[in-house]
Amino acid sequence: MNQDFEPAILAFVCNWCTYTAADLAGTSRMTQQPNVRLVRMMCTGMVDPKYVIKSLLSGADGVLISGCHPGDCHYQNGNYKARRRVRLLNEILSQFGIDRRRVRLTWVGASEGQEFAATVNNFINDLRELGPLDSRGLAAL
Amino acid sequence: MATTARIQIDGQGPVVALQGFFRRLLEDESLSGVMLPVHLFRHGMPMPTLVTRPDQLDRADPLAPAFPMNSAKLVSRLTRGATGERIAVVMRPCEIRAFIELVKLNQGSLEEVILIGMDCPGAFDNAHYKEFLGDREGMAASVQFHASLSNGGLAGGFELAPACRVCEYPSPHGADMVIGLHGADLGSAIPVMATSARGEALLGAMGLPEESPDDRREKALAALTATRVQARDAMMEQVSARTGTLEQLAEYLSGCVNCYNCRVACPVCYCKECVFNTDVFEHKPWQYLGWAKRKGSLKLPTDTVFYHLTRMAHMSTACVGCGQCSNACPNGVEVVELFRTVAARTQAGFDYLPGLSLDQAPPLTVFKEDEFQDTVSHLA
Amino acid sequence: MARKIGVYVCHCGSNIAGRVDCPEVARFAGGLKNVAVSRDYQFMCSDPGQDMIIKDIRERGLDRVVVASCSPRLHEKTFQKACARAGLNPYLMQHCCIREHCSWVTPDKDEATLKAKHIVEAAVLRVGRHKELHSREVGVLPDVMVVGAGIAGIQAALDIAKSGHRVILVEKSPSIGGHMAQFDKTFPTLDCAACISTPKMVAVAQEPNIELLTWTEVEDVSGFVGNYTVTVRRKARYVREDICTGCGACLEKCPTKVVSEFEEGLSTRRAIYRNSPQAVPSTPVIDRDHCKMLTKGKCGACQKTCPTGAIDFTMQDRREVYHVGSVVLATGYDTMDPTPMREYGFGRYPEVYTALQFERLNNAVGPTGGKILMKSGEAPKSVAIIHCVGSRDRNYHEYCSRTCCMYALKYDHLIKDKVGHGCEVYNFYIDMRCFGKGYEEFYRRVQDEGVTFVRGRPAEVVQENGKLVVVGEDTLMGVHVRVPVDMVVLCTAMEARPDSTDVARIFGIAQGRDGFFLEEHPKLGPVSTASDGIYLAGTCQGPKDIPDAVAHASGGAAQALALAARGVVSISPTTSWINPDICVGCKVCIGLCPYSAIEFDERRHIAVINEAMCKGCGSCAGYCPSGAAQVKHFRQTQVFSEIDGMLDPLPDLLAPAAEISQTTAQA
Repeated sequence: MNQDFEPAILAFVCNWCTYTAADLAGTSRMTQQPNVRLVRMMCTGMVDPKYVIKSLLSGADGVLISGCHPGDCHYQNGNYKARRRVRLLNEILSQFGIDRRRVRLTWVGASEGQEFAATVNNFINDLRELGPLDSRGLAAL
Repeated sequence: MATTARIQIDGQGPVVALQGFFRRLLEDESLSGVMLPVHLFRHGMPMPTLVTRPDQLDRADPLAPAFPMNSAKLVSRLTRGATGERIAVVMRPCEIRAFIELVKLNQGSLEEVILIGMDCPGAFDNAHYKEFLGDREGMAASVQFHASLSNGGLAGGFELAPACRVCEYPSPHGADMVIGLHGADLGSAIPVMATSARGEALLGAMGLPEESPDDRREKALAALTATRVQARDAMMEQVSARTGTLEQLAEYLSGCVNCYNCRVACPVCYCKECVFNTDVFEHKPWQYLGWAKRKGSLKLPTDTVFYHLTRMAHMSTACVGCGQCSNACPNGVEVVELFRTVAARTQAGFDYLPGLSLDQAPPLTVFKEDEFQDTVSHLA
Repeated sequence: MARKIGVYVCHCGSNIAGRVDCPEVARFAGGLKNVAVSRDYQFMCSDPGQDMIIKDIRERGLDRVVVASCSPRLHEKTFQKACARAGLNPYLMQHCCIREHCSWVTPDKDEATLKAKHIVEAAVLRVGRHKELHSREVGVLPDVMVVGAGIAGIQAALDIAKSGHRVILVEKSPSIGGHMAQFDKTFPTLDCAACISTPKMVAVAQEPNIELLTWTEVEDVSGFVGNYTVTVRRKARYVREDICTGCGACLEKCPTKVVSEFEEGLSTRRAIYRNSPQAVPSTPVIDRDHCKMLTKGKCGACQKTCPTGAIDFTMQDRREVYHVGSVVLATGYDTMDPTPMREYGFGRYPEVYTALQFERLNNAVGPTGGKILMKSGEAPKSVAIIHCVGSRDRNYHEYCSRTCCMYALKYDHLIKDKVGHGCEVYNFYIDMRCFGKGYEEFYRRVQDEGVTFVRGRPAEVVQENGKLVVVGEDTLMGVHVRVPVDMVVLCTAMEARPDSTDVARIFGIAQGRDGFFLEEHPKLGPVSTASDGIYLAGTCQGPKDIPDAVAHASGGAAQALALAARGVVSISPTTSWINPDICVGCKVCIGLCPYSAIEFDERRHIAVINEAMCKGCGSCAGYCPSGAAQVKHFRQTQVFSEIDGMLDPLPDLLAPAAEISQTTAQA
């Protein structure tokens, strides 16, 4: 594991579940490594694949997309649509050496503050193991 | 759908025989026109042409090894609204598959169009077709092209377009009628098969002699497909080796100048306006400078790798591998090889076979509750 | 275009300032492009904090505001309102969180400060791309439609009608009352169901504000909150309600007998029928599938008998259109058909009954006149009641049906009461769930009446020597049991109606995994749905007993009334919008939209958002490859800007301090 390497992570989280869980993790003072930046979306179903690609090309070493558990989506089924889009992205990006572990989809419900903190910390640890993404040094993207 | 008829070839050769076939087809009262490649000029590029008067078929040449565009986009324009009249269109297998994808996306309709699929041995890209043609008359060159293919291959160092070399769908799927070139003796006859009820009705009414079935076409097709699959796999392996990292991908695409020709030429890139041409990608001057400062330099134009990755996300599941992207690239980026390699993954990822069945919904247009559990991580 | 952005970094006492160097973050923000003023302050949400923003907007002409403090889920509205008070469109403010997601979870001060800078920079870049948005208010039609006239629908309709609003009450059966009309007694008070529900049914019929449409089904719903257009199909009754006096003479003359649905198959009715003499309305209906006149063109006995000439065989189904402000769905439940559970012998052994059949056996106007009798006409000497048939069972329904324990106890009592104390009663149960008011007390009372309780789900019911034998295990005693009985009652699960998927689609609402309609929030929004102006009442939302169904129905009615009483509804502007110049008309977004909020304009060959129905989930935007569909306030330029700010490799990029105002205001 590359302990010196500080991965940069962007997390697209849905307003109703994971963002709320992140709030709860904060309120409960659940310590997290500082590498994750949250982008609040109303639903994982509005996460355009371009956002993930843009993030990876702009210096993110990993992207987290996290929303409501199946059946709990505030908008009925946005999370299922997100799941297909993440699958597509994984198929494409892995062709170019972007490990599937760099683009992750998780379900973290509104009450799961602890799960949110653990998700963040474990994701960061995974990325430390994977090392920096090679787009970091590229001028041509 | 049992009818197989015979297009008899006399001393004037296969192109003239096919012209006769389409003339006869056009006599059918149910058809108002037929779209097929026509040499409008002696040395020019044969272009898809919508013919309504039989006498205009004199320069039609469905055998021409030229492929200036994927006609699925044209058939989309011809069918995006009801006319009350029916036409027939002559298409290559990849054109039909692309059109089926467009129909799924409400960009065309099968209602008023009869698809006549041509067995396709492949074609040249634009530059090589012109070279191949030289000073010859277009139709004569087409006949020579097919003759040399059946005599063991192309002479003079000519090669088919990169997409065609690795195309494993040389025969049409989803057509109403198929003109069976594979295994046919172009000196004597070409079989034509009805492959739908509509095709059956049309073909039956033409009163052509019946062709007795044999397995020449199947054998030729099997051999060709095997060769193509082998070439395809080798190509993909090579592309994978060259694009194993983002940096390598950037190098592979380094000639890209954001002209977007590939997406204009792509039959399944169906947007009226590419998002990369919209205000979403209208960056402010200071943004460029900001990005340059982050890494010390910034290649211009920006967003080339971004564009291609996004296009993969948008259309790779629908990619039929026609190769028009490469044909259109001004800077020789090997677009089709890259996209076919990625498409193989994305299509396998959704068990999706583009263009083969109207019933198979494009992967991102549908979803189920219980699927792709392995795409979800449990990190907590 | 140059912006004038104000950035406000909150200390939140020591909540943020304890970890994040707030003055440093404000200094950093001050150096960002387009930032005109940047301040940090003890408590931004306090009145002086808000006044600071308002003053800057007014005096410095700020056109954008960023507040970095707690979670926007807490105070986004507060700061939006503050901006609005200063005359700045509230959507030109971006609230970002440096407390829950930063200071509270990041132990290291430098790291927390760096993270806060990223978050603020992202907000500054994003807010520069914000556009003014305006909420819209639309009028609410005063009438309310209630669909389903069981006890929940009746309660909702009466509640609404009482307020003076007109109710259109739609019922697909020939008469109202639902399942409750089939029951005999109700637990735990043992008052008769008819005695308490008939007055309500009559009240519906007599209420001038209720337009009752029985034998009617909803076919189509369009529109949006406050403005729904509902098309109903009024099925041909073949008896004119305006002339029929409900005398019932026709019922006796009809020669055709049909198995009675209302009696759960235990007896027959005629082809012209009504469920009971107390039916509301009392007008009978002719069963067009069995009536000899309608199927074969001969008979007409009823027509000849009718003293008022109310029978009309030429009647046709007809469609009617209603315009209502909201809809209360009270479409109820079904009981599970236990035939597929072959182990319990329903349908094979004549003395195995469903609970609803047993209700009819107990009912004074039922097939046995209220006596508990076997098919032989004799009273049973022993009865087994099997709980949780199809409930709490992964093979059928995982959920508890919530009513079976209690009605089983009611049966225990009724059997002892009607057949006599000599009649043995066995309950096979998993757990006794007696949670309601007076329920546990009732359980005690029945236990004292000498009823046997066997804990364990029986394996099967077999027939041996003309007697039924319940085979199972007493899990408390740890012994296998074989209990011979005369009669078996299956407490079958309450389940969603078989057509609930169609109903959900018509009304644009969702179903849970169990098939019942999905409420907006399991705890805090139990009657509203994902579609504004569509409310739930009773068991269509999940199994309920009568008191819960009635309470739920009153809740649904209150929601509908709140909307109707105000007369206008505000619609959030953060909906999707499809750029007509870019849309290519592929229709994919229409299929992905969970709210049927996108229509196709055939003439222009493009998709169009109905902003009143759109909830801004972005299913369309997440797909649309051309970016024609985008959600306002989550536009791609806005998200890209936010991404850009978040990923700024900061330590290398600290801009020289701007020569703009650097006031660090302290309280």
